[in-house]
Amino acid sequence: MAEPYLRVEGLVKRFGPFTALGGVDLEVFPGEVHCLLGDNGAGKSTLIKTLAGVHEPTEGKIYIEGKPVEFRSPRDASDAGIGTVYQDLAINQLLSVTRNFFMGRELKGPLGTLRMDEMNKIAHDEMLKIGIDFSDPTQAVGTMSGGQRQTLAIARAIYFGAKVLILDEPTSALGQKQQMGVLKTIKKVRARGDIAIIFITHNEIHSRLVGDRFTFLALGQTIGAGTNAEIGDEEMRRLMSGGAEMGDLEQELAAI
Amino acid sequence: MADTSESGRLKQETAIEKLLRRPEIGSFVVMLVIIVALAIASDGKSFNALGLKNNIAIIAQYGIIATGAAVLMIAGEFDLSIGSMIGFAGMAMSMMLKWGLPFGMGEATPITAFIITLAMTLALGWLIGTVVVRSGLSSFIVTLAFLFFLRGVTEVSFRLINKSTQISGLPDYKEESWFANLLGGDVFGWFYDLWFMLGGNLNRRGEQWVEGFDARFLWWLVIAGVAYFFLSRTQIGNWIYATGDNKEAARANGVPVNRVKIGLFMFTAFCATMFAACQVFDTNTSDAAKGNLMELFAIAIAVVGGTLMTGGFGSVIGVVFGAITVGLVANAVFFIPAIDGAWFRVFLGGILLAAVFANERIRKRITGGI
Repeated sequence: MAEPYLRVEGLVKRFGPFTALGGVDLEVFPGEVHCLLGDNGAGKSTLIKTLAGVHEPTEGKIYIEGKPVEFRSPRDASDAGIGTVYQDLAINQLLSVTRNFFMGRELKGPLGTLRMDEMNKIAHDEMLKIGIDFSDPTQAVGTMSGGQRQTLAIARAIYFGAKVLILDEPTSALGQKQQMGVLKTIKKVRARGDIAIIFITHNEIHSRLVGDRFTFLALGQTIGAGTNAEIGDEEMRRLMSGGAEMGDLEQELAAI
Repeated sequence: MADTSESGRLKQETAIEKLLRRPEIGSFVVMLVIIVALAIASDGKSFNALGLKNNIAIIAQYGIIATGAAVLMIAGEFDLSIGSMIGFAGMAMSMMLKWGLPFGMGEATPITAFIITLAMTLALGWLIGTVVVRSGLSSFIVTLAFLFFLRGVTEVSFRLINKSTQISGLPDYKEESWFANLLGGDVFGWFYDLWFMLGGNLNRRGEQWVEGFDARFLWWLVIAGVAYFFLSRTQIGNWIYATGDNKEAARANGVPVNRVKIGLFMFTAFCATMFAACQVFDTNTSDAAKGNLMELFAIAIAVVGGTLMTGGFGSVIGVVFGAITVGLVANAVFFIPAIDGAWFRVFLGGILLAAVFANERIRKRITGGI
């Protein structure tokens, strides 16, 4: 089997007396979608923030291509090829698509001027590659749909060298059709073969549609993991509800 | 398959529709209306040789500080200390010219007085910016504190050293110093020479009437031009817009948000200093009350020019139009003696409110109603 691009071993993160992550293991492979599932408060956000360099782990190790790394800032993580697309997307609505795409990493000419035409073209082409033909990249992002904004944020992360793409609930705030658009985008990125995707979601159907591998978190622990083929529907539902048996839940509900 | 279905829903616009969506369009139309109305009401007097000079003088004053205020507003912050900074800078410069440089460094020249003053105001701008970004407090309250603080320091310094809150009768530095002339002298003399040659610009004796515009006209054009260039064409400009629109998003993408803000507080301090320097070297006087309320005019003009109060959107060109509009109306009383000068404030209040509503509509249209 191929080597995982990113490997996490026994990751523990404590905030004072509170243990947010109590020893999580994770392996993500290039060209695969790794779904990270779990209820609210399961530790998903803490895990991705640790991978993105926002938090430093209390214990445990992160390996990139087999080498241990330590991230002291989001910049370190992004330099190591970890591109995080947060729920708020880190996008400015009043700015144009291109200005958002290159925000903080603008292409400059000899006099410090922006190479606007070139940037427009790159922004347009990069978004086209993963599925949106946005004809006018000078238009404000406020005019785009939620799904298109996701695509912009994903295209931006890839263009600036992400080898691991962390998508934080990219489908959660969207309508049905746009959710499918985002899933299509995920598939297209996966098809490139060189990028590992961590897809965080609440949605069982979405994860089934695009996921290769699953990790389930509950109360800061890994409670289950496996490939799409290994995990059956019943098992998946049980793990998604934090390990409780559906039957037990039905009984509890019936008793009220 | 490319997902064109949604972007296709954006209507293809004609050139005129694109023009109508520009942020400057509202302030441009208002400016045209005011120019025409004023020309008619003043019987052309407001745009004769002297009228034009006097109008441009006040427009340029407003324009200089409004540019600073607008760029800072685009980055999402306010500066209420502009007016007091003008008073402080004017005091510092004129006192050095009258009483010599501090710490017994000898006589001041216009250059040394200006440079030392600028160093102080830039340091104050840096301090204000640093307090705002480090404390996370609203710039409204921090700069309000500096409004009082600087005005107080200005008055106290005047009384302690000068025994009076005004300085008048400084020598006319423009005569010998090219530097003072650059700030307080005349510019664009060729314009009035040409006008004279073409048969206009005559006084009662039939000689050339006006020699040139006040130098602050040039400084306004320079400051507005540089601000326009940086905002629209450079990386710094993109950072300024990004900072004002969504600070956290900008930071997450590696924009040095704090440095942008501190730099812009220094820029408003610079604009206030230029305002004061032009005034001091033009009139050879100074007064502790100079620049009073100017911070509010600067903000009002920025808003009339289409700058959003919430940041992230605005244009220097719009602010140029706004400065022309407000400057003309402020001066109108001199050309139309029949009207009460206080109507200016009535007008400014009305147009400000209208501009806020118009800007809010623009913002909604861009962000899709959020």
